[in-house]
This record gives sequence, structure tokens and C-alpha cells, in this order.
Amino acid sequence: MKNMKTHHSGRITERSLFYWILRRHRSMQLFLLLIIIVSLFFKVFPLEMQKRIINEAIYLKELQLLYLYCGLYIGAVTIAGLMKYGMNVLQVYIGQKILVEMREELYQHVLQLPLQFYRKMQAGTVISAMTAELNAIGFFLGGAIAIPITSVLTFIVFIGFMFNLNPLLALLSMGIYPFELVVLPYLQKKYNKLNNKRVKTTRSMANVVNESISGIHEIHGNTSYELEEKKLGSFIKELHALMNKLFIVKYGIKFANNLFQSLGPFILFIVGGYLAINGEFTLGALVAFLSAYEKVYDPWKELIEYYQSYQDAKIRYKQIMQIFDLDPPHLLLPPGRDILALQGNISFKNVRFTVPGGIKLLENISFEIKKNEQVALVGYSGSGKSTLALLIAQLYDASRGSITIDGASITDLCKKDIGKNVAMIAQHPFIFSGSIADNLLYGIRAISENSNKEFPSRKRILAVVRDVGLEDDLIRFGLQAVLSQEQCRPFKTKFLRMRQIVQTGLRDEFSSAIEFYDADKYLYYSSIRDNLVFGDSVNGEFIIEHLPDHSGFMTLLRDTNLEKPLLTIGFAIATETVNLLEDFQDDEFFFRDNPMEHKEFTFYKELLARLKSPQPKNTEARKFLLILALRFIPGKHSIISLPSAMEKKILAARKMFQKTIVGINVDCCKERSACSLPEKKGEASSLKGFVPLCPSEYLYTRTLLDNILFGAVKSDQALDEHLRTIATQAFEAENLLDEVMDIGLHFEVGSKGDRLSGGQKQKLAIARAFLKDVPILIMDEATASLDNTSQARIQGLLENQFKNRKTVVSVIHRLDLTPAYDKIIVLKAGRIVEQGTYEQLMKQKGDFYELTRAET
Amino acid sequence: MNLPEQKPDIKALTGLADIQEFLNRFFIFSGAPDGVVGLFAYLAKKEEYDKGQMILSEGRRCDRIFLIKSGEVDIFQNFKERRFHLQLLSHDSLNYFGELALLAEVDWFFSARAWTDITLISISRKAFSKVMERYPEAYKSMVDKIINSRIHRFVDQQQYLMDNLAIDAWRENPDQS
Repeated sequence: MKNMKTHHSGRITERSLFYWILRRHRSMQLFLLLIIIVSLFFKVFPLEMQKRIINEAIYLKELQLLYLYCGLYIGAVTIAGLMKYGMNVLQVYIGQKILVEMREELYQHVLQLPLQFYRKMQAGTVISAMTAELNAIGFFLGGAIAIPITSVLTFIVFIGFMFNLNPLLALLSMGIYPFELVVLPYLQKKYNKLNNKRVKTTRSMANVVNESISGIHEIHGNTSYELEEKKLGSFIKELHALMNKLFIVKYGIKFANNLFQSLGPFILFIVGGYLAINGEFTLGALVAFLSAYEKVYDPWKELIEYYQSYQDAKIRYKQIMQIFDLDPPHLLLPPGRDILALQGNISFKNVRFTVPGGIKLLENISFEIKKNEQVALVGYSGSGKSTLALLIAQLYDASRGSITIDGASITDLCKKDIGKNVAMIAQHPFIFSGSIADNLLYGIRAISENSNKEFPSRKRILAVVRDVGLEDDLIRFGLQAVLSQEQCRPFKTKFLRMRQIVQTGLRDEFSSAIEFYDADKYLYYSSIRDNLVFGDSVNGEFIIEHLPDHSGFMTLLRDTNLEKPLLTIGFAIATETVNLLEDFQDDEFFFRDNPMEHKEFTFYKELLARLKSPQPKNTEARKFLLILALRFIPGKHSIISLPSAMEKKILAARKMFQKTIVGINVDCCKERSACSLPEKKGEASSLKGFVPLCPSEYLYTRTLLDNILFGAVKSDQALDEHLRTIATQAFEAENLLDEVMDIGLHFEVGSKGDRLSGGQKQKLAIARAFLKDVPILIMDEATASLDNTSQARIQGLLENQFKNRKTVVSVIHRLDLTPAYDKIIVLKAGRIVEQGTYEQLMKQKGDFYELTRAET
Repeated sequence: MNLPEQKPDIKALTGLADIQEFLNRFFIFSGAPDGVVGLFAYLAKKEEYDKGQMILSEGRRCDRIFLIKSGEVDIFQNFKERRFHLQLLSHDSLNYFGELALLAEVDWFFSARAWTDITLISISRKAFSKVMERYPEAYKSMVDKIINSRIHRFVDQQQYLMDNLAIDAWRENPDQS
């Protein structure tokens, strides 16, 4: 757990930008410095060679010397270039390494900031600060030390070289630099100011976009597109104006730079030329001087650029750190002790909780909860029940009074103490993207790193899943999964056994709902493609859209005289659909039982307008008619009917396809032996991984449910609850369902659990908390969005499994559930008005009694 | 393999005409515009049941009307743990059941099972309302027909029950046991 104790060794947001640069990866930075110093020599050396080439080799007409100097010149230039390359790479490497650490440590800090911080902070600001703005700093970080040192040293070395050649010329050419020192910083200051504004405006823009995306339902619902556009529009305009100004200043700086750069040679030619003509300066020296002057400008330019990017990075860095500049309220790990194992005695004494603005949400709260007691928090809406629950979970901190758990003040407990001992279920739980299993184990993973908490076994996970009533959902997810060969391997035998149960023991019941695959029969509820190919290729070779381009398949259609009838069928489907659904082309509903998809309507309508006959010559037209025909399912698509003569031809073609194209005998499906062709080295691609619809074969391109049913569903209504129940019972009798649930555990829930229903999310969150198996369980209306049966099931768990095992604090609205609790605490307007057992409170005839009466 | 080449006639392929013609024979579809019945024919589903198989059960959500293409259907109701036979519907007299499902989201208030092997044509409420959205002018007359046919059926079933009731069903005054 590196970086975990960060906030105690000085708050991260208080560090300066150079803290990172000077304290991280020093040896690598030193190495970089070394390269820089060595490279200086190789930068000056070619200049000396230039001088000697002209003054000695050319002047003395010495060829030997010319070759030697030129050789040395090119050698030095190459070495200098290579070193520059190495310096650049190393710089970026160091910069990115520092950036990674900065980002990790900052994120760690950001995650630990109190909930109140996030109440006023827009997500867009945090996201843009953590991503784009930090990136920009990263580019600066790598060169933060290397660039100024290289530039200054290079500058000095070249100036020295120039003074060595001619002090007067050197002084003159340096004369313009002081002007630059005034003009450029002035412009730069202006640039910084504008840049500052740009960062702020971009952030505001990010917030608006983030808010619109999060509230897209509301926007669609209110058709408030223009309203939202306007909101963003004002920022876009502001940004546009800012960028214009920013670039005017930026190019102003560039112009000033260029002007100063050109002034130098002007002075050199006038004065240097005069001296050379008068014989006071050699030609070689003048050439070398000119080169040196040009070269001296590079480090100068680099320094100016460095200054600019430093200013830019400084502003960004300051702004980022300002956002997050507060301390996490609690330590993450306990200082010098192990994480506590708590019992669950909770005590509140005169607790007050206020929010900014001085509004008291809770006042004078005192109560005792003994270990393993189950307590219900009830009261009117807004009475502070949830706030109270959050205080116990250390998500909020009391403004006054004391809260203790097992006698230890909650302020002294670190985050991991709470994490290991308290589980919290919110009314609207957050589900992370990832699989069901990832979410179930989220809480355990978080604490297992610091404690010896063991990962629950599969048996335990599935038991909890059953307890909370997520079993059916998990089975459904499992059944819908398409499994790869690898995923399927461990369970294949069991899945095939399930198929066998449906095929044999339950055949009579299922035959009304399923048309089982049969190598000898025409399948009315399968597509013409399935009837012909009678199997799938793992590499997708025989999917409908590829078949019209498959030469082997097309030859087969021609040989069996099927091509023309199929084209006619495609043509008939297109014609009938276009005629019938012209007015309904925008409604998907009318295309549910049609081989044509609603988005293809216009395409086929235009295609038909061009076609003169059902047998077009154009290859593309033939392809698309054929696709419609291959999709046609006679039992499901009523738009046309299949002539019975076709059935026989298709059956014959099926056998031929298997024999000639995939090279297997379809009859082997009748015997219970494997007929598939697994991928083997050296086989033609068409033969790779073809799996026929054989009872002994698992179909890797289809869902687990398809594999178990091993047939086409005649209608979804037919596959009713009765059939599901008897199948489930049969599978359970042979202990086969755990494997399906196992697959279901890998179901990806989507971003924020979007692929789950509200109830599923809630049950998942409850299971996640139960799996943590901690002594204190806090439920903040955790079952409110569940149906009555599921709610009763969870309540039953509390009463049976958790009785005398866990301290439970439950915020509840449904008062009919309260009799089961050991104690009831009644809140009204932030104060406790009554507490006691159900019987006591009912006898008292106070607020609780009134509440129950209001409910009935 | 040398199979005789056949070019199916496009007209021979169109399967909707038969169902449309079948629907047209029913009172509730008679008089509706051709386009409407054509769409119903397209959206209709064929359902087959074996003799004795349950088609629908009392208390379950009802979502479609059934028109009997062939065979006989037994309509019955459970009351105080006894089963009362209400009607035997046969394809001969153009029978259908579940027509109220087209109009409202209710639960089945009777059960139906296949008396013989049967073929049914069903149209879902969703399909009905989707088509009616585009033909609002036909909607009123169809609703009238559905309600009228329901009243006829109600009268039929009541008469059947009265025919089969015990003779002592009538009480002179309400206090009489």
C-alpha cells in the first residue's frame, strides 16, 4: 500500500511544483545532467572545426587537413544530435514518471476528501483537473531542470567561444538581449493572465457538459435542448474571445523574438565585415562567429519557451491544488497499531450536526446501542434519520458531542477501522462498472489488503446471492452469456447434461415451446441460413452477411438450384414489406417479425425501385436479396410463406454443405459422438472451428440458454414460467445451477450498473454488504426500492441469520417492519423524540403511535 | 446433385392473403379498411396446442385475442375450488375469446384449454393499439364491435349457466336460506 500515509507527511496540495521535480527520480535527473554537460563539448567543437576548415585547410590548400577536419566535424555533429535525442527521451520519461506519481497521490487524496467537499464540487471540475490539466503539467515536468541548465550552460559556452574569437563583436551582438528582457516578460505576463481565464472558462464548460450528460433524461423529457445549448453557448463565446486574445499575444511574443533574432546578424555583418576587410579578423573566424551567434540564440529561445511553459504549468498546478486544498478528516491507516476488530457497541452523547450556513440537521442526539442489537431509525421525512446513519459510518463528522464505538471515539478511528467493521447500504447504492462479481467483492477487496480477511468461497458467495434473492437474476444473466471455448471448458459437461435433461426427460413438456434441432428435419423456427449451414463457425465465416460473398456456399446454391428461388424469396419479402409498411417504416415494432430491419427499409425500397426482376444481374442487389432470404424464418415471419418443395431442396443442400464445404457427415449428429472440427494446424480456414448443430456439441457462438434448449424457441410466451420452473427443478436436482450462476457472476453490469434494474442494483448492494460480514450493518432505507416479497426476504435474514450476530441500524419507512427490531429510535426535526421497544412506544401513544396510525 | 430447377412464383409466396381472408370472416374485423385487416394479418401469430393443453389461466395477465382456426376450445372458471364449464367454442361458428385484452390491461377472468388439437391465430394488444394509432377513424367502430360481442358472449354464458343450475337456485326473499 504505497502512498497511503500521504496526508500525514504534509498535505499534498501544499507542495510546490518543484517539490515533485527536486525530490523524485534524482539519480535519473543527475544522469540527464551528465549527458547535458558532455553534450556541450560536442556542440562547440564543430564551430572550432568550421574555423579551421576555412583558415587552415582551405587557406593552406591542405587536402589531408580538410578531410580530417570535415571528418571530425561530422562526427561531433552526429554525437551531439544523438545526445540531444537521448536527452529528449530521458526528459519525457522522467516527466511522465513524476506525473504518474503526482496523479496517483493526488487521486488518493481526492478520494479521501469528506462528502461535504463533493456536495459543492462539480464532477466536471475534478475530472478536468485530474486529467487534461495534469497532462499539460506533465510536459513541463520532465524538462523542468534539464532545459534551464542546458540552455544556460550552452548560452555561456557559446558566448565564451564568441568572446574568445572577438570580444568587441561579442559585446555588440549581446547588446540586444537587455531589450528582450524587458519586452518579453511584459508580453508573457499578459499571456499568463489570459491563460488563467482560459483554464477557468474551460472548466466551467466541462461542468456544463458533464451536467447535461448526467441529466440527459431530463433534457430529453423537457426537450430543453436549446436551453442547454444556450448555457454552453455563453461559455463557448467567452472561450472564443479569450482564445483570440491569447493568440494575438502569443504571436506577438513570437514576432518580438524573430525581430531580435534578425538584428544580431545585421550588426555582425556591418562590424565583422568591416573588420575582415581591414584584415583585423579572419574569414574563418567570421564564419565561426556567425555560426556561434545563430547557435547562441537557440538556448536563449529555449529559455524563453521554458519560462512560458513554467508560467503556464505554475498556474495550472496552483489552480488544481487549490481545488483540493483541504485535509481528509480521518487517517487512512491506524498509526502504530493494527486495524481494530470492533464488537458493535455504539454510543451517541449530545451530538449535533450542522451544515454550512449554520443549519442544524441533528441536535442533542443521545442513545446507546448494545452489541448485536437491532435498531430501527424512524421518523418523518427530513427528520435526520439518514444523516444519523451516515454519522455512524463516519461519512459525516459530528459538529459537537461525542460518538463512540466500543468506547473509542469515532474521531480517533481511522478509515480502515470503519471499513473493516462497518458495512453500509445506501438507498440508492452506487454500482461500479465491471462484473457482478467485481461489485459483490468490492467491499472485501478494499479491506483484504490491510487485514487478514479471507476472500469468500464460491459457495458462500452463491449462498449470499440466494439469501438476497438475486439468484434468478444471476441465472438469467448466466443463460444469456455467450461463452468462449476457454470459458466453457470447465463446465461443458454439465451444460451438455442440462441439454440432455431437456432433450430427453423433459422433451414432451418442451416440445410445445421448442423446435429441437434435428439433422433430418426442416426447421420452421430456424432461419433458412440455419437450415442450410446447420451449425456455426467460431470465426464467423458463415454468418448471413458473409455468405453471399462465400464462393463455396454460392457454388453450392447454384449446384442445388437454390440460388434463383432464394433470390425470389428475398425479392418477395422486400416487395411485400415495402408495400405493407411504407407508413410504418419508422416504428421498430412492425419489423420485429420481419427479416428486414426497420433501418434497412429505405435501402430496400430504393433497391426495389431499381430492380426489374427478382433475378437481378447486379452482384450487390443479388447479395442483399439473398441476405433477406437467408434470414427468413417460416414459423415466425408471416410476410411470405415457404413453398414446401423448397424444404426438401434445402435439406438436400444441408447435407451437401456439410460434406463438401465443412467436410463432415451430418449423420454423425444422430450418433452421440462429437462431429465438430476443432482448429487444427494446417487446415484450410473454412474448416476451422465449425460446430454443427449436434446434440453432443457445445455451440460457442450462441448463448448458454440456446445451448441448453438446443432448438429454436417457437414463441417466447410458450417458454413460460411453468417450463422454466420444471427445468430449474431438474437442473437443481443434479446440482447444475451453480455453474450457470457462476457464469452469471461474470455479467458486465455497464456504467453505473445501467444494465441492471433498480431492484437488481439494490439486491447487489445488499449482497455486497452482507458478504463483507462485519459486526455493524447500517441500512439506509436499503430495501425501499424492493418489492414486498424481496423486502420480506431481507427482513427475514435480519431476524434469523443476523440475530445476536450483528449490530444493525436500519433507517426504515415501513413501520410494519419495526416490531422485529430490539429498539426503535424516533426522530422529529433533527431531535430524538422517543426511543424504546415497539411495545413500549405503542403503549406510550406518542409520536411513534401517531406515525403507525398515519400509515394504516 | 441435380434437382429440378424451380422458380417460385412471387404471388404464390405471399402468405398474408389467407390470414386476411380468415380475419375478414369475423364480426369484429368486418367492415374495417383493407389496410387495417392486412396489418392485423401481418402482425397475427399462429399458435398450436395439443388436446388438453392449457391455453391461458385465470389470474394471469391477458395480452391478446385468440381466433380459433381449427379445433375446439373449452372455456371454464374456477369458483370455490370447483370448476365450472362456461362454453365450448368451435372453429365452425367463427369463434374467438380474449377480445377484452385488446382494450384494457386486465387479468384473465377465465381459463381456456384445448378440447381437441387446435390452431389459433392471436393478435396482441400492443399490435392492436399500434395499428389503431394510425387508423383512429376505424378505432371507434372496432371498440363498439368488441363490446357488443362481449355482451353477446356474456348473455350466452349466463344462459348456459342458468340452463345448468340446480332448480333450487331461486330464493323468494334474500333472508331465505
